[in-house]
Amino acid sequence: MNAVKKLRLPHYLLIAAGLLVLLSLVRVVDGANDVTSSGTVEAMLRLAVPIFLAGLGGLWAERAGVINIGLEGMMILGTWTGAWAGYQWGPWIGVLAGIAGGALGGLLHAVATVSFGVDHIVSGVAINILGLGLTQFLAGLVFNVGHAKELGGGPRQSPPVDPITKISLPVLSGGGGTPDWLGSLEKHHWFLVSDLAGVLRGLTHQMSLLTLVALLLVPVSYFVLWRTPFGLRVRSCGEDPYAAESLGVRVYRMKYAAVLISGGLAGLAGAFLVTVAAPIYQDGQTAGRGFIGLAAMIFGNWRPGGLAAGSLLFGYTDAMNVRDGGQAVHALLLFVAVLLVAVAAWQAWRRSFLAAGLAAVAAVGLLVWFLDSDVVPGELVSFSPHLTTLLVLALASQRLRMPAADGLRYRRGEAR
Amino acid sequence: MPDAAVRLTGITKRFPGVVANRDVDLTIERGEVHALCGENGAGKSTLMKILYGMQRPDEGTVEIDGEQVVLRSPADAIARGIGMVHQHFKLADNLTVLENVILGAEPRRFGRIDFAAARAAIRDMSARYGLRVDPDSLVQPLGVGDRQRVEILKVLYRGAKVLILDEPTAVLVPQEVDELFANLRELRAEGLTVLFISHKLDEVLSVADAISVIRRGTTVATRLDPAEVTARRLAELMVGSELPTPELRESTVTDEVQLDVAGLTVRTPEGRAVVDDVSLRIRRGEIVGLAGVEGNGQGELIEALMGIRPAASGTIRYGGVDVTHWPTRRRREAGIAYIPEDRHRHGLVLEAPLWENRMLGHQTERPNARGPWIDRRGARRDTARIAAEYDVRTPGIDVPAGALSGGNQQKLIVGREMSGAPKLLVAAHPTRGIDVGAQAAIWDALRAARAAGLAVLLVSADLEELIGMSDTLHVILRGRLVAEVDPRSVTPEDLGSAMTGAVS
Repeated sequence: MNAVKKLRLPHYLLIAAGLLVLLSLVRVVDGANDVTSSGTVEAMLRLAVPIFLAGLGGLWAERAGVINIGLEGMMILGTWTGAWAGYQWGPWIGVLAGIAGGALGGLLHAVATVSFGVDHIVSGVAINILGLGLTQFLAGLVFNVGHAKELGGGPRQSPPVDPITKISLPVLSGGGGTPDWLGSLEKHHWFLVSDLAGVLRGLTHQMSLLTLVALLLVPVSYFVLWRTPFGLRVRSCGEDPYAAESLGVRVYRMKYAAVLISGGLAGLAGAFLVTVAAPIYQDGQTAGRGFIGLAAMIFGNWRPGGLAAGSLLFGYTDAMNVRDGGQAVHALLLFVAVLLVAVAAWQAWRRSFLAAGLAAVAAVGLLVWFLDSDVVPGELVSFSPHLTTLLVLALASQRLRMPAADGLRYRRGEAR
Repeated sequence: MPDAAVRLTGITKRFPGVVANRDVDLTIERGEVHALCGENGAGKSTLMKILYGMQRPDEGTVEIDGEQVVLRSPADAIARGIGMVHQHFKLADNLTVLENVILGAEPRRFGRIDFAAARAAIRDMSARYGLRVDPDSLVQPLGVGDRQRVEILKVLYRGAKVLILDEPTAVLVPQEVDELFANLRELRAEGLTVLFISHKLDEVLSVADAISVIRRGTTVATRLDPAEVTARRLAELMVGSELPTPELRESTVTDEVQLDVAGLTVRTPEGRAVVDDVSLRIRRGEIVGLAGVEGNGQGELIEALMGIRPAASGTIRYGGVDVTHWPTRRRREAGIAYIPEDRHRHGLVLEAPLWENRMLGHQTERPNARGPWIDRRGARRDTARIAAEYDVRTPGIDVPAGALSGGNQQKLIVGREMSGAPKLLVAAHPTRGIDVGAQAAIWDALRAARAAGLAVLLVSADLEELIGMSDTLHVILRGRLVAEVDPRSVTPEDLGSAMTGAVS
């Protein structure tokens, strides 16, 4: 009946290994060492975490049937409250304050959508506008006066916040003054070996403790949502709230809980920005990451593991942008071209010749571009995260399935 | 005498503008199958919602096992051992059978769900009551009979001693009904009490130990003995008057073929044929019935006829013209009328007033439009005409369609579709879920239109309606027309067998 085979962990590991080999190959061919350097991977992780946390916020809300397009606004609230508490009482208090700030936005969203039945998109857009306006107003009011101003605050930014401790793995990545084996291995630029070393070093070198927390949230979210009674109830509210209601599940309460958690996670994403990514709150700091988080969530089919993969993809393209990777993106043209050839072959095997043809044409186009140039211009590099978002959503979203009652208004006792 | 399992006394429930239940008294003894009969809209469902804690009565008391209780929510009812199997299944498609069953009452171990214990409990219940289902399957692919078993398991899993079944047979074919009744007898043998809501009297008489009848919100007869009461008597109690029957009198079939479908195939996006090489002719003045278990391609066939779904191959000729590639609007303008199977999803805009709904699907034609403009006055006048002619009971034509009862909504749709002298009517479940009076009115409308030369394709899950109202009757199974039966001689049982493929 269902011919699609279920992919398990070994399959995913195999796919990841295959992609790494391919990446290594294009790196050697193009001499673009930044493709898999530890610096790139470090930057990818740092840039992926806020996207991931925001996306996880979206996942929690949508699993409970509430579309949360207000993630961006909640994230902005998190940056402000995080910085406000962070510069006074230290970064960890800032993190907690960030969560609280985001959760406040979540509470507002829950009151509007769950209690008053406001359209989820309308409420979300309102929260985005509110989050931005409120923080700009409060920044001027709080950061631009007295002590805060002396410490470097202003109408558009906060005083600096102490960064959260970063740790490195001893021996392998040079933590605590020990040798940096992976680092030296990476410098040889050997095929595959150095790539593997670069990736591993990027994941174990100078990692912020908060990043570690974010990584742990992948299994924790999965466990809570899929293995506990609370999680089952939350998900049932997103699939069929009237069925849940008929079994005595308190749907309003579950939705409130999920949307509060959602806001808290978005706030945590904001706090990450002010305590890890940059040491201050700045106006416009979130730069649409809440929306990209939603895209990553859709890419991940509303599952934590898939969301993490999507976030890393967006983080990677973002890292290219940050590290001025004209050369590396150039190498990636070849990478994508090879992938497209594989897609074309697969589609042809499935006798879907139109798709196969399109993929083949795109592959040839990219190949020509690759051979005809040496670097990709900077403007295109900075556009690549957005382009990736667009392509991923356009191509991957057809096979995805969102929670069945996602975004629908629920009123107690109104089941048909 | 031991206390009754459930005793309702003087229950009254008012909604704005209506009294749903008025002074209802009902006693259900332990270990019996008690049937509650009544027309749609008589107040059965409201009464059951009160017993299940979904609504609270304005007056009256509920006693369970001799103890007076106030049920604030379904959770209260469940805690008292009352479980409900809803008419529209309340199952989340994308959760597994197991997750649907344990939801809200999960066995725990160290804070997580104890899946092993849940699985064992479900397997055990399945074996004990003969309710076969695989706990780890998703609900999505399950058929109606399986879903109903999951619903019953859900209720039993919560330790229910009183099961409320709200019109459980409405969606089942006769064989599945027999299976369900066998299950009910097993439950009764285990000492459980079953409250069975239905308006199908032969079923009620065959399975119930006691029968109560509700009409216009109040009980008109309680605890009748099925051995001493006839179906006729029950029906009169339910309706308060004579029963309508679906039947056709003299043949009006002409030689003129209005619709000629040849080799029609419709595929899903994945390429599976859901309508497979169907050929079918409907002449003017003829009603062609299509019998089949739901999900065997009827919906897709109808949508292909209406141009909502593309035909992968084959031709559709309408009045001699090939319309296979015509868009829906052109087909409708050519005189194909359509009663969709789900009036809420396809037939009406529930939030819009009646007169706007009257224009839907006919928005380019008089009296609804003049040239490019909507003719408000014409549409409103014609809506009033439909309301009068088809007996749509409504306070006015400006109320939203959602405010009408199902029967009145359906009469509005029938009236709309019969306007403008159609030549072909595609009717999917025209009398589903509506009361006897509205049913009779719609049958009358179909008979009159047939006499006037209308060609009709009738799809229905009500086998009596199909047998009674069809001139020709086809059986569809897995997208193919597998048999043509004579509606004058076939019995519902034979038809049911053909529908499930048991015989050919």
